[in-house]
Amino acid sequence: MKFVCMTCETYMNFEKVEKPAEGSLGVFFGCPSCKARFTMVTNPGETQMVSSLGVQLGGRTVAQQPFEMTRGGLRGEGEHQAEMAHYLKEHYSEQPAVAPATPAEAEKKTGGCPFSAVVAQMGLGSSTEAKGGATAEFEWTPDALDRLDKTPSFIRPMIKGGIEAYARKQGFKKITLQVMDDSKNAPTGIPWSPAAEKRLENIPDFIRPMARKEVERIAQEQGVTQVTEAMMDEAKTKFASFM
Amino acid sequence: METQDLKDILGKLKYTDDAKVVQQITEQMKAVTRRMASVRRKLVVMSGKGGVGKSMTTVNLALAFARQGHKVGVLDVDLNGPCVPQMLGMRGRRFTITPDGAIPPIGPLGLKVGSMDFFLDELSPVRWKGPMDLSPVWLGLMEMNVIREFIADIAWGELDYLLTDLPPGAAADKPPVIAGFIPNLDGAIVVTTPSEVASDVVRKSIAYARDLGITVLGIVENMSVYRCPHCGIEGELFEGDTEALCHALDLPLLGRIPFDRTLAKSFDKGAPLIEGDYPTLTRFDEIAVRIQTLLDYKTIMARNL
Repeated sequence: MKFVCMTCETYMNFEKVEKPAEGSLGVFFGCPSCKARFTMVTNPGETQMVSSLGVQLGGRTVAQQPFEMTRGGLRGEGEHQAEMAHYLKEHYSEQPAVAPATPAEAEKKTGGCPFSAVVAQMGLGSSTEAKGGATAEFEWTPDALDRLDKTPSFIRPMIKGGIEAYARKQGFKKITLQVMDDSKNAPTGIPWSPAAEKRLENIPDFIRPMARKEVERIAQEQGVTQVTEAMMDEAKTKFASFM
Repeated sequence: METQDLKDILGKLKYTDDAKVVQQITEQMKAVTRRMASVRRKLVVMSGKGGVGKSMTTVNLALAFARQGHKVGVLDVDLNGPCVPQMLGMRGRRFTITPDGAIPPIGPLGLKVGSMDFFLDELSPVRWKGPMDLSPVWLGLMEMNVIREFIADIAWGELDYLLTDLPPGAAADKPPVIAGFIPNLDGAIVVTTPSEVASDVVRKSIAYARDLGITVLGIVENMSVYRCPHCGIEGELFEGDTEALCHALDLPLLGRIPFDRTLAKSFDKGAPLIEGDYPTLTRFDEIAVRIQTLLDYKTIMARNL
């Protein structure tokens, strides 16, 4: 923030900061030409905004100490806490309504059971969503439907669609647990040569699916139709360049 | 007329930052970068949902890395509900303030721990000076800067892993923003329970973290099952499918942790079970190995492919 002396058409100089009262700062400025001076006084709210940045106006005169703000900002038991409320009470006839509503009022406003939030948080509320349900095209076995129903609702249509697409491709009419498992492991399209497949086993099993996907992505970028050992060498060189 | 005059005047003048506010804020961020330079791998543990066991997961992963011989730090940035010191039997401990930074207390297996709890008296909540009664906006500003101090001012020394336990919250809330404070963050570990309510919120927090450019390493499913302390039989606590969630979000499932009353009680009492042969702890050991494998992914690919 800067102030301009409109008479001399120049910036006023920052001079010093004083603390005229609890929760208030007096920031002094002076015009280098006409020597006019003035002080900007902050209220507790404005003071808090400055101190919340963890800075000292005018720069630091001593080095910052570890946890300076944390240690200096913690309020002790019984310490004065409502500077802004007092400030507003002294300077304005009407205070903004800052007092929280009583529990009874709050309950009335929300208009419901006081435990509804807790019940919802625990996932105990009644679900309005129907089970996955069989489609006209496929028959889902009850255990397969039960497993599908355990998937989060926001991804259930995607998962269901994926499994049915796999079943359609394989010519299945009934979706069982086995079909669900097989659909997860279905190849993505690009075939691997036996030698490349063997080399992939050098990668720890936990990250092998990621590695497979990454190599296939590189293969697709290059427009090749099969992942070969030469393709693996290229991927390896690419990863080495990241080290 | 006056606006035009002011525009003309400002056009002739050179602006200087007398109050040195920008300079100090820049210096604050440089201090964060300098401090984090001695930490090899920086991870955050997050979840959109509260009560899924973030702190329990953070502490146990930290202990798992320590069991594997790494130097580990745990940063508990849940300012208003710090619980890591209680879980590790470190209540009442304090930072040692030196000119070079705040030296963190040392807990089980040599874990270095930073927590707001080390500034508080027993049972005292966090109360800040200033007009917090009028607007929570000031509280937000204050808290973010205090978190910045936690990242910049703790003298961790050389660490292999720093695990930061983020407070709960999703989407445009604090946790992913806090993670953005940590320079060169290696990734986020997301904790969920297999309940639909939790997975829905967790999904949002993952999306927001990704928007901020934070690498999400994978998901830990906590409270997968309940293990009876009498007969050892396991049963479902929730009905959900975290594997399907991982598949949809293209993330690995790092592991499943059962709700283990014996283990939970030990952390609750501040006398944590830390011996690696305890069955649930071996699950955390396996997850720690997987996290390390993910962090070494490019190296492994370059060497083993």
